[in-house]
Amino acid sequence: MWFYEKRTEYPIRIKRPDPRMAMNILTQYGGPNGELAASLRYLSQRFSMPTKEAKAVLNDIGTEELAHLEMIGTMVHQLMDGVTPEELKKLHVDSLYAVHGKAVYPSDSNGVPFTAAYIESMQDPIANLNENLAAEEKARATYDYLLRLTDDPDVIDPLRFLREREVVHYQRFGEALRIVQEEMSRKKFY
Amino acid sequence: MDERNTLLEQIMAYDFVLIDLGLYLNTHPSDRNALRDYKMALEHSEKLRQQYQSKYGPLTIRSLPDPNCWQWVNDPWPWNKEA
Repeated sequence: MWFYEKRTEYPIRIKRPDPRMAMNILTQYGGPNGELAASLRYLSQRFSMPTKEAKAVLNDIGTEELAHLEMIGTMVHQLMDGVTPEELKKLHVDSLYAVHGKAVYPSDSNGVPFTAAYIESMQDPIANLNENLAAEEKARATYDYLLRLTDDPDVIDPLRFLREREVVHYQRFGEALRIVQEEMSRKKFY
Repeated sequence: MDERNTLLEQIMAYDFVLIDLGLYLNTHPSDRNALRDYKMALEHSEKLRQQYQSKYGPLTIRSLPDPNCWQWVNDPWPWNKEA
């Protein structure tokens, strides 16, 4: 069960529209290393987690990723605010406008739609937790790329927050993996 | 920045402590320092939340409704620029 809170996890107030950056950031909405994939991955995997710590870690990180999805959607929306079709044409970023207008749609920056094929959920918790460690690093790398593509402090600030969260999640998944491995080795008696 | 946003950002700051410490406690459930800090942040957050909601309307749908008007529908939503 979830309750909605009428606020973003971290403040976002983008004053200057930048449709190119909106398209770049869109990949963290519905792209392969994006927040939607992250949330669905962890919230699906949690059902097969064997220890209480790992269940809590997957449940709560999966929930936080939904808040990150909202932050990314908010950034894309605000970066497109007030932009005209003529401006999009001039900047050569009018192809997504042709499909969705200025709506926020879960795709990557090239318009490739979100697919659950981006994620895995297996019965094996070791396989899952190792996938999650890699996923957090891939998301962290994506935020590094995005940070190199803007000089707007209003955009840099929330992107840096999101990048930092990937690092923290990586840490927690590492601890969960160690706890699960210890638990599984205790249970073995040949 | 207006008063409403200042208050909201204070709530965000304390709630971030709750999110981050909550994750930490999931893998360190008997860290007493973290448990004490969690309690402190929760108390601050709840006090600010009450203050915010009495002035600017509900943060969650589960807040006591105004007898005259369902305030939950009111703008701004978090993605709005004036939020």
